[in-house]
Amino acid sequence: MKLNLCQALGRAMREELARDGQVVVLGEDVGRRGGVFLITEGLQEEFGARRVIDTPLSEASIVGAAVGMAVRGLRPIAEIQFADYIYPGIDQIFSQVAKIRYRSGGQFCAPLVIRAPSGGGVRGGHHHSQSPEAIFAHTPGLKVVMPSTPADGLGLLKAAVRCDDPVVFFEPKRLYRASKEEVPDGEHLVELGRAALRREGSDLSLIGYGGMMPELIKAAEALGGQGVSAEVLDLRSLVPWDREAVLASAAKTGRVLLASEAPRIANFMGEVAYVVQEELFDQLLAPVLQVAGFDTPYPYAQEKEYFPGANRVLKAAARLLAY
Amino acid sequence: MFKTFTERPIALIGDDGKKVARQLYPWPPETLLQLLWDMLRARLVDERLVTLLRQGKTSFYAQSSGMEATQVALAHAIRIGHDWVWPYYRDQGLVLTMGLSLPRFLAQLLGTKLDYSKGRQMPHHFSAPELRLVSISSSIASEVPPATGTAMAQKYLGTDEITVCTFGDGATSEGDWHAGLNMAAVQQAPVLFVCENNQWAVSAGLRTQTAAPNLAIKAQGYGMPGYYVDGQDVLACLAVLSEAAEQVRREGNPVLVECLSYRYGTHSSADDDSSYRSPAEVASWKARDPIQRFQRFLERQGLLPSEEERRAFAAQVQSELEAAAKEAEAGGSPAPEELFDDVYSDLPDHLAVQRALLLSER
Ligand SMILES: Cc1ncc(C[n+]2csc(CCOP(=O)(O)OP(=O)(O)O)c2C)c(N)n1
Ligand SMILES: [Mg+2]
Repeated sequence: MKLNLCQALGRAMREELARDGQVVVLGEDVGRRGGVFLITEGLQEEFGARRVIDTPLSEASIVGAAVGMAVRGLRPIAEIQFADYIYPGIDQIFSQVAKIRYRSGGQFCAPLVIRAPSGGGVRGGHHHSQSPEAIFAHTPGLKVVMPSTPADGLGLLKAAVRCDDPVVFFEPKRLYRASKEEVPDGEHLVELGRAALRREGSDLSLIGYGGMMPELIKAAEALGGQGVSAEVLDLRSLVPWDREAVLASAAKTGRVLLASEAPRIANFMGEVAYVVQEELFDQLLAPVLQVAGFDTPYPYAQEKEYFPGANRVLKAAARLLAY
Repeated sequence: MFKTFTERPIALIGDDGKKVARQLYPWPPETLLQLLWDMLRARLVDERLVTLLRQGKTSFYAQSSGMEATQVALAHAIRIGHDWVWPYYRDQGLVLTMGLSLPRFLAQLLGTKLDYSKGRQMPHHFSAPELRLVSISSSIASEVPPATGTAMAQKYLGTDEITVCTFGDGATSEGDWHAGLNMAAVQQAPVLFVCENNQWAVSAGLRTQTAAPNLAIKAQGYGMPGYYVDGQDVLACLAVLSEAAEQVRREGNPVLVECLSYRYGTHSSADDDSSYRSPAEVASWKARDPIQRFQRFLERQGLLPSEEERRAFAAQVQSELEAAAKEAEAGGSPAPEELFDDVYSDLPDHLAVQRALLLSER
């Protein structure tokens, strides 16, 4: 069946709620309203208000309660309305979610999923556009995931629910309804920590995740028109990230361009770049280049100019090829 | 002095416009009429902006229709340009009545050059330095602890200013809300906290937010006075908010006022309310409309402007809006490279490099 990302995520939760009675969904407006992006639409009707819970307007309550539920054996899926509003819940995420397994010597754990729409694309200004994934990747104890296709949305979210570690699951909201694709009918799981090769190529590697993926594919197509063969790799998981796939692609092409919508300083891709140069210094034909968001808050009026789209990717690719 | 922590909202006039309080305040007719004009203006602007949205001129709009009594009365209860205000995004009735000019107001919604915040924010994030109206953050309740801090500074500096902090009913569930009120009470900071309880936070009704009988009662737990007011009664709002503001100013301690109101429109232009509330509920609150109610009162007092005068006023607001829209659009959008300004007080090297990259793309 053809689904967009929203529908695929909704299906993932429906299937997990049906499969396991310990799974619950909680968040602001997730029940009667079906979430402000309508991803949880119909779930409360189907599974009841006991399992699909409309919470007070408090991210600390949502995440904190999810921790306690998970410790007692439930499998909560907590929704944060926008990644930009995850901050009031961040102490719970950093102090409880991320550390309970470690601090208890493995005696207690909090397997839960925190879903949060991130990135720009909805003319929402800085408070509806941020990409805060790096700060979560920087926090040991959290797995960090971001799908870019409906099938991956389905498979990764289901895998995240079953994962015994907490997963912060970012959803690129610019892709929510961008396209529909054929999604496998039966049980579909995507292993966390594995990248996906979107396009094979030999001259350079375009590596990204989330909202950048359609831009990278567009850029690769344009490069193809110029006789350049670009490989496109979708990380899908940031923690853990697929070193093997990245290094294989980098070794093959010798030219690496890393793309992310998040601001440049301490961007997650800086870590990937570091590992690529550390492991493959003598095989690289050019320095590793990064295309990222500017180091400013996400502006409202200049949202288009802020976003590092295919054109900015192509300019960086040209630099990479000119070495 | 009004009673704190009443079980029912404090009201001065009933739905029929008859007074229900033993005494009314001796407001001069000019004040009463100004309240009417200000409420009508807020309503007209709200209705007109929905049209702008339909025409595709703004990307987002969140109506405050139904909440005019609270917002207009608050503007009348404080010393504008003297007291500091930390508002929230649905406060268009407040900021317009405080004197934010229509061109500036529209420029914010349109993100054009005339916007004080240079197009940085999505619609509904008003600010004005000359009105001491502090820039709004979308993050619910994040303004509450800073409002307490501004009041602590006012106390420290020995001013006779107070700080006003507004928020919705949903905001009262956030940790920051608790943190701000508790600190204000402990520090005896002069803040007037105003809860604009429109009974919905997107799809979450008040019972999803709290198990307490009302929100004003929460003040008791912090050790500050709390007033529960009929937010559809502009005179009750004005009387309680004025008294509360003066109490804060005089005694230097915080006060919480809850105004029980209603939002007629959807949460925002991105919302559809059919899944969570009934048209009958909306209709029942529209029947208690604050403007209609006040007009009934004025009529009884022999003060109600004629229909002709009110129609002329509406036409005038309409033409002001049209002129203001032109003025707001005239300067065009901020230049792309302006997105690098104001991140810091200066432009660090890394931003200069990024700015040059953006300019090279043209
Ligand atoms: C910290 C935070 N979480 C979630 C949101 C998303 N959101 C925007 S408005 C809103 C409801 C606010 O309700 P209320 O405080 O009652 O104000 P109202 O909109 O009713 O005026 C929500 C959940 C947000 N802006 N900030
Ligand atoms: Mg509300």
